[in-house]
Amino acid sequence: MLLVLVLTMMLGASLASATTEEEGVVLRVGLGQPWTTLNVTAGFEVSVYEIWNLQYATLTDKSADDFSTIEGLAESWDASDDGLTYTYTLREGLLWSDDTPLTAEDVAWTINTSRDQGWGNHVATTVNLDAVAIDDRTVEITSLVPDPKLPTMDVYIVPKHIWEPIAPDGEAVTSYEALDGVGSGPFFIEQYEPEQFVRMRANPNYWQGEPAIDTIVFQIFTNADARVAALQAGELDAIHDVAEESMATLDDDPNIVAIAGYQGGFDELAINGGAAEGQPHPALLDPIVRRAIGMAIDKEAVIEDVLAGFGEPATTISPSADPSWVPDIPEDEQIAYDVAGANALLDEAGYLDTDGDGIREMPGGGDNIVLRHGVNTDSNTYPAIGELFPGWMEVIGLGVELNSYDGGQLFEVIIAGDYDTFVWGWTPFVDPDPMLSYFTSAEIGNYNDANWTDPEYDALYEEQKQELDPDRRKEIVHEMLRIMYDAGVYYPIYYSPDLQAYRTDRFEGWVRQPADIGPVMFSNTSPSYFQLQPVGGVVGGGISPLVLIVAGVVVLGVVALVLANAQRKRATADERE
Amino acid sequence: MTVVVGDRKRQRWVEVAREFWQARSGRIGVIILAFFVILAIAAPLVAGTDYINPVKARAAGLPQWGTPAEVGPLGTDHFRRSVWDQFVYGSRISLLVGLAASFLTILIGSAVGIVSGFVGGKLDSALMRITEWFLVIPFLPLAIVLAAVLGRSLLNMIFVIGITSWPSTARLVRSQVLTLKQRTFVDRSRSLGGSGLHVVRQHILPNVSGLILANTTLAVPISILTETTLSFLGLGNPQTASWGKTLEEAFVNGAIARNAWWYYLPAGVGIVLVVLAFTLIGQTLEQIVDPRLKDRR
Repeated sequence: MLLVLVLTMMLGASLASATTEEEGVVLRVGLGQPWTTLNVTAGFEVSVYEIWNLQYATLTDKSADDFSTIEGLAESWDASDDGLTYTYTLREGLLWSDDTPLTAEDVAWTINTSRDQGWGNHVATTVNLDAVAIDDRTVEITSLVPDPKLPTMDVYIVPKHIWEPIAPDGEAVTSYEALDGVGSGPFFIEQYEPEQFVRMRANPNYWQGEPAIDTIVFQIFTNADARVAALQAGELDAIHDVAEESMATLDDDPNIVAIAGYQGGFDELAINGGAAEGQPHPALLDPIVRRAIGMAIDKEAVIEDVLAGFGEPATTISPSADPSWVPDIPEDEQIAYDVAGANALLDEAGYLDTDGDGIREMPGGGDNIVLRHGVNTDSNTYPAIGELFPGWMEVIGLGVELNSYDGGQLFEVIIAGDYDTFVWGWTPFVDPDPMLSYFTSAEIGNYNDANWTDPEYDALYEEQKQELDPDRRKEIVHEMLRIMYDAGVYYPIYYSPDLQAYRTDRFEGWVRQPADIGPVMFSNTSPSYFQLQPVGGVVGGGISPLVLIVAGVVVLGVVALVLANAQRKRATADERE
Repeated sequence: MTVVVGDRKRQRWVEVAREFWQARSGRIGVIILAFFVILAIAAPLVAGTDYINPVKARAAGLPQWGTPAEVGPLGTDHFRRSVWDQFVYGSRISLLVGLAASFLTILIGSAVGIVSGFVGGKLDSALMRITEWFLVIPFLPLAIVLAAVLGRSLLNMIFVIGITSWPSTARLVRSQVLTLKQRTFVDRSRSLGGSGLHVVRQHILPNVSGLILANTTLAVPISILTETTLSFLGLGNPQTASWGKTLEEAFVNGAIARNAWWYYLPAGVGIVLVVLAFTLIGQTLEQIVDPRLKDRR
């Protein structure tokens, strides 16, 4: 009887949590990375961009296929003859999710205030801009310098009537919790439990119309195995950050699709270029030694043995989520895996092993060449490559000393220049400018983790930054990446995919961005959620058949027990008589 | 005179050795330990280092997760490395760290114990407070923090184990010294004008040496297990194959889910056997040098 009671209670609880009237069609997404804040002026984690992409629409949107600029809140725009001023016309009747009108004043206020107060995610775009609201639907944006990114205006527009009172200055605004839930995108924040979940509701005022799903719950599961188990059990509809070894198992499930989505992320072997205060081993200042190290990197071994096949061998860094920014390097000019060739290069340059201990010395007989390799212990991948690296160096006669750091410590070591090599990675934005800026001399001591500078690269960087002809700009970028590749200080090992999985039995319409190769979630503009449709009228958050069966059994059991009890009572009553 | 004393000492040791060999547990312990010591010393003869390098293993065409039936004596791991080679060379690290760390433990513990017990007074109180401080701090977290701060190398590992596990030895030795100090032969030596150092060297040390020896053998298995634990938690030297590291890698890379028993079983069994051997030897020695323990069995 007790068991039945417990079962009924559990059933009651599960029915309550699956209430459909309140939440409607619910999509549940599991992710591993929690964030520090939902405030768009202060947050920075990859995962929180997903929330902002849904909450805040942008003036111009990006196509899901190839990131090309398409209409967003603005339905059209015109450029001035000098290319410095753009006039955007907003759609008619735009409303915030709280039914307040969304006007040009909101756009101008966001752009100007973010520039003045230095909002983290806006300022890189708005730093040289000035916006003026001409009337309710017209906003004029002027750039101080030629800006190839225009007319793309992809900064999140925030509601002035909410943010103006809490943004007296750049300091105060970052401490705002941003749980107001007023947005212009397809969904807005309804409830947030830090480290647990964010619930977002469909915005009926979204300019493209109301989405087919009513509620999205982003649930934080820091344990990767727990995410996989929840997806398999149907408690989640989609998960992000799947471990490589789980991919095959998930793919075997007929109701689950597991994908590797590429959006420009890569991991590289970086060699200390010597521009920081701490210096690398003197041998590394010789381009021949750097080239030999590049020739000893077995990219296929990493992809096969470390990544279980989920990765593409890389040549240059990818500065953008759009692969067309990566230059084509003819195969015979690539620095390919060639141990014999690397040994020949080193022999020829005079780096010989004269004392026969298996490790080469500096020319003219000096100390052994031993490289200090920094291992980032924040992921499982980098220590695994750290196992391979000493082996790669051993066969070309170089010694390695492994030093383990967490990400923060490694960053300090890189800034100080107290290392020879390390393996780490980047995920770029769509516009290549930020990624390219990291390797300019201005970024030494900041983002330049190659500790490498080149005056020609710096000059080309300034040139592309103001080049308005897109083809010419791409040429310049390709040239820059080629210079960096040939310098041999930064060897991308592989382009790394986002591993994701989703169930196909409840929702359909997942969109990969960019087309065919990209991820379906946590992509640049997160187009999937607006497109998703429930499969065959199945209601999200509905009762699964299993629950129904259990409920049926329990009800039958209770009825049987009640009947049996009644029977027994009657029996005893009979006896008493 | 000295010759006679030397003879007597030697005779005593021969007696201990005989008594030791007569105890079955001592014999088993010595045989197991001898096997692993020979394995560690003869490593270059029975195993190679080439296939511990994943690059060479790959170049030689070894498969990932090769079973013992497919390749070599104990198969290969996720990086195509030979498990047998790693096991043999790992035995060196486990024994080395175990012995060196125990030596450090006993060195610190005995020194603190003898000084504290013999000198007494304020110095005793001060040393015992330090000892208690180390005793009450949970051992593993302290070792983890130290290992993380100092960096991952073999020497640091030995240092961390030594510095965290000496207090119990110190207390044991101190109590023995305290009882010895009350004995008449110590009083006689002092009244004959023997200095403190002389008394410690000639009378105290010889009388606690048996206890220290037994304690050393019992400290080794603890050191080996600590090394394994720290390596399993990823705090070992990443460049040397040790049994703890093998277990960590097997666990992280899903050897258990894959049923790749040849990957984790040898290291696990190796640790158990070596720890067992040292424990058997230590207990036997303890019973011989401390007759009060004899009746307990």
